[in-house]
Amino acid sequence: MIPTDAQLVGRAQAGDVEALCELVERHRVVALRVGYTIVGDEAEDVVQEAFVKAYASLDRFRDGAPFRPWLLRIVANELRNLHRAAGRRAARERSAWQRTEPLLALPPDEDPAAAALSGERRVELVRGLAALSEVHRQVVTCRYLLDLDEAETAAVLGWPVGTVKSRLHRALGRLSAALAEAGPGGAGGVGGVGGVGGADGAEVGRGA
Amino acid sequence: MAREPDGFDVLVSDLRALAPAVEPGAAEVDAVTAAVLARLGAAPPAPERARGRALPGDVAAWFARRRRRLAVALVVVLLALTGVPAVRAAVADWFGFAGVKVKLTPEPRSSSSPLATPSPPPSVAPGRLAAVRHLVAFVPRLPAALGPPDGVEVSADRKVLSMSWNDPAAGVVRLDEFDGGLDYGFAKTAPGAEYLDVGGNGGLWFERPHEVVWLLGGTSRHDPPRLAGHTLIWEQGGTTLRLEGDLTRERAVAIAESAVPVF
Repeated sequence: MIPTDAQLVGRAQAGDVEALCELVERHRVVALRVGYTIVGDEAEDVVQEAFVKAYASLDRFRDGAPFRPWLLRIVANELRNLHRAAGRRAARERSAWQRTEPLLALPPDEDPAAAALSGERRVELVRGLAALSEVHRQVVTCRYLLDLDEAETAAVLGWPVGTVKSRLHRALGRLSAALAEAGPGGAGGVGGVGGVGGADGAEVGRGA
Repeated sequence: MAREPDGFDVLVSDLRALAPAVEPGAAEVDAVTAAVLARLGAAPPAPERARGRALPGDVAAWFARRRRRLAVALVVVLLALTGVPAVRAAVADWFGFAGVKVKLTPEPRSSSSPLATPSPPPSVAPGRLAAVRHLVAFVPRLPAALGPPDGVEVSADRKVLSMSWNDPAAGVVRLDEFDGGLDYGFAKTAPGAEYLDVGGNGGLWFERPHEVVWLLGGTSRHDPPRLAGHTLIWEQGGTTLRLEGDLTRERAVAIAESAVPVF
């Protein structure tokens, strides 16, 4: 039986270091992803600090609540603590994107033919993301690049869930429009395979 | 993908396809757990702030076989020492034997202290075996094959008895003994260990140089790591014995099997 997060939290609260390790291992990747894309170059420190704080406040963890959003909220709080001054925070978030952007634009190591995205499509998407406002880019990043659900996205960005929904919708609209504009060849011009806006759904993604 | 906003299916699936690009590297991922443990060790929540190392919990489960309580400081110390990247590996590869914690590592760190001549732990009562044996709470054992020891010491906390011999063939041979039921002993990180039979009891043979850390007392005092040479660890009547020196495996086992209680 694989223990649930809640069981691990219970054991970690009782001082079981193995349970704590298991919790960290389960969630460190998502925490780091959030760190890299939202925090920027101090991601590792922030994530570390967040886990330490999470451990220290495990007694305040509400029984039965999902652990991941709770943890991600701590990660996000750490980020905010780090950049209390709004100007600094904005600069930091820009720099996080500046670090993320080249990674996204870089084709994966694997056989390009096997990649889920054509090179051009990838570049266009990244350009489109770059052109979005910070909040729109963040919500898209959290939801799809980091694969967070709405509650987790809300926790990371510190917004109400309703705001996540509405901003996400608007962000996708903007992005979609920007992509259509960027591909002057018309519907077939963007992805090679898929169409703009995705009405035909021909392009196969791996986003299951 | 049930609840994507209308009409953005392809866009969303393409965005998701970008996700692998922001996957953190394995090294960074691995570093997190060790760093967190180290941080917890460095920032004790409890008053028990012994030399800066905390005991936030109990790692007994790590050594479920023996169910010994063990300060997390121990683990932290070792992680720091060996630079072990993955705690998953640590959990999988750690095993306990008679109060000795062993972690298998690919190779000992080359930057460690050079292969050191066995040296006894800090002592309060160097002297003859007869003079110190009442200081420890277990029955010491003396290998007849080695004869009377040239040096006898008891650790400062009186929990480890150490003896040494100047052996004509092997140079300095060291034997450490402690109550195998104690919640500490020493920890080793080793590239390999071999189970073998010592007079009907299980033993562990370390053929290759490996790091050893003394963990004296539950209060996280420890000696700096050093590389140890050939070592045999075995358990006899609840006492853990650790023989170290330039010995062949056969000779080490023969010495071990010659150990008899000293009353």
